Amino acid sequence: MAVSDNSSKGKLIASGVIPFAFLIILIAYIFGPGSELLDLGVPLPEVTMEKVDFLDSEIQVTVRNTGPIPVEVAMADINDRIQPAAVEPDRYLERYETALVRIPFEWNEAEPYRIGITIEDGTRFEKEIEAAAPALEPSLELLGFFAIIGTYVGIIPVMIGLLWLPFIRRISKQKYHFFLALTAGLLLFLAIDSVEEALEVSDESLAGSFNGVLLVATVLILSFLGLYYTGEKLVSRAKSSRITKPVAIALMISIGIGLHNFGEGLAIGAAVGLGSVAFSTFLIIGFALHNTTEGIAIASPLSREKKVIGKLVAMGLIAGAPAIFGAWIGGFVYSPFTSVIFLSIGAGAIFQVIITILKWIREEGDKNLSSVAVASGFAIGMVIMYLTSILV
Amino acid sequence: MEIKSRSGIMMMSMFVIVTISILFVAFPGGINAQQEENVFVTHSGAIVKTTGEILDPLYTSATVEFDPMEYLRDFNYGRISQLDDGTTLREYTIIANDEEIMEVSPGIFYNVWTFNGTVPGPTIRATEGDIVRVKFINNGEKEHTMHFHGIHPAGMDGVFEPVGGNGGQFIYEFEAGPVGVHPYHCHVMPLEEHIVHGLYGVFIVDPKEKRPVADEMVMVLNGLDTDFDTENNFYAANTIPFYYQHHPIQINTNELIRVYVVNMVEFDPINNFHLHGNLYKYYPTGTDIVPSFYTDMITLSQTERGIMEFEYQYPGKYLFHAHKVEFSEKGWVGIFLVNENQENTESEEYGS
Repeated sequence: MAVSDNSSKGKLIASGVIPFAFLIILIAYIFGPGSELLDLGVPLPEVTMEKVDFLDSEIQVTVRNTGPIPVEVAMADINDRIQPAAVEPDRYLERYETALVRIPFEWNEAEPYRIGITIEDGTRFEKEIEAAAPALEPSLELLGFFAIIGTYVGIIPVMIGLLWLPFIRRISKQKYHFFLALTAGLLLFLAIDSVEEALEVSDESLAGSFNGVLLVATVLILSFLGLYYTGEKLVSRAKSSRITKPVAIALMISIGIGLHNFGEGLAIGAAVGLGSVAFSTFLIIGFALHNTTEGIAIASPLSREKKVIGKLVAMGLIAGAPAIFGAWIGGFVYSPFTSVIFLSIGAGAIFQVIITILKWIREEGDKNLSSVAVASGFAIGMVIMYLTSILV
Repeated sequence: MEIKSRSGIMMMSMFVIVTISILFVAFPGGINAQQEENVFVTHSGAIVKTTGEILDPLYTSATVEFDPMEYLRDFNYGRISQLDDGTTLREYTIIANDEEIMEVSPGIFYNVWTFNGTVPGPTIRATEGDIVRVKFINNGEKEHTMHFHGIHPAGMDGVFEPVGGNGGQFIYEFEAGPVGVHPYHCHVMPLEEHIVHGLYGVFIVDPKEKRPVADEMVMVLNGLDTDFDTENNFYAANTIPFYYQHHPIQINTNELIRVYVVNMVEFDPINNFHLHGNLYKYYPTGTDIVPSFYTDMITLSQTERGIMEFEYQYPGKYLFHAHKVEFSEKGWVGIFLVNENQENTESEEYGS
């Protein structure tokens, strides 16, 4: 009995391992004796300029080899005019390796520049900067500046939105469902907004080899699944623990919005850092109006709860404060890759929240998602977001 | 160790955030403890240190594959013999190739197509009325020819007689004329491709009454389109960008300098030649012995050429460059280093 058990176990393992073994043999063959068979076509080199910093009398470019073959950085130019430069640590770049190209240049603030890198086969790559702005030197003052922007854009609007709670509290069940659907509409807009932003960043600054669209899709779905799983756990445990289901849902919403605002903060910090945005009061107002709606999203599920002030403040902070951290990171250590990742995580989180809200409306509202209240709420949520987004 | 409570996680993340924030403030310049090693000078004269490698089109003569300094004053007079009627016969052998990869600027490699292994090809020089006989061998993969500007029979024009690759041959024979400086180049279609890859050179026809003795040099103004986007990535006098800037051409005060200039730049409609601290007498195409201009700036279209003559009165460094400044910032710039003339070097002979 034991012997046959062992042998069947062995068979199981073998049947699992054998395909792997063949895969390894195939890979070994392709890299080894079979490599000549596949030696067709011309691999084209590619480098991507991920980051351009304007320092004192110097322009610094972070160059990454994003092509299929090693390259050598051979020359740098500004506006198609050759400049003496330095490359650190050295000019040889293996796949995905980065180097810092330092180009001494007396640049002028707010003027556009085209940065060119030529590699050993004479191919020239170019990156255009809309307006040169001095690279941000981390300082207490700047840290404070970003904290204030983050507060204006993240925390304050969310808190203001939360003040609608007493209003939502006094209305009928139908109208309450309207507001919940409104929240879902608002969130759906935010999610689409995040995806669009992530795709835009990956398109502009991420090399083709990162497969921008698929990166966004993968991270978004992983984030969705991860939060869906933990969210379900949280909501099911809510029945037995101190937190009620609406609180759990509100918490999920604020976490989702927090992730989104982190991405938004990254974008704001990066925009200031890259000098591509003049940070006008108008823009702040736009963001503030836009983000006030996020407060409503958190307030709606909580409106049937009691003693919520403390929870509201905590959730407001969870949703709003990440904007500050995002602005810091975006402003000081911006990388398009992290930006895409966080925007995608945010989008996944928001999609998860939308599903949670819709499920809840359906359970509460007689298994019905097609009532006038729900449909109009959803639609109006989208419209409000669109209209306020014009201001940004 | 396990963090049990949610507040524990909160504390941890707060700690991380605070630590990162402090690091930002404490090390504003980033952590940069490496020692500086290399030094280079920028265009505006600033000195910059780097721990890495320098990217500067600055050749040392030891590493350059094609030596513009050698090309500058190198004239090929051919193998000389007399025909029965007393006419001088000059025989040349020119071998075309199209597979060589050359380092055209430090670290940048380009497939040059060559006459006798260089871009530009050798400067062919004869006296008016001589018989020029060029044995042309095509060792390239593609068809090539030699098309001389000047006066010759139709069958010697190098257009309708393509010479096949891998050893194809042709003999070009004609009487040298007219007097002046002329280009020669391959004339196989697609023509632009054959020219910009480097199949060109200079053909000088001296007058029978020799020109006055001078320090003579050839400058072919050319461009290199290394990424094939029909825009030049580099410009130069004699192929290597910035070469004469880092290796100034040594000349003497009060000595006649004669420069044979040929513009072979493609893609850009014009090129020009500006000389600092001096003016030159200019003989367009070199066909006349009386200068047409006394200027410091001439404009040249494709294959437009001429002879410039000047003398420097004061020693020192003088730039010469395209006053289409884009070209000079991409390599078409050089320096004459004028030395005090110690003796009158009147003994120098040219031609033979």
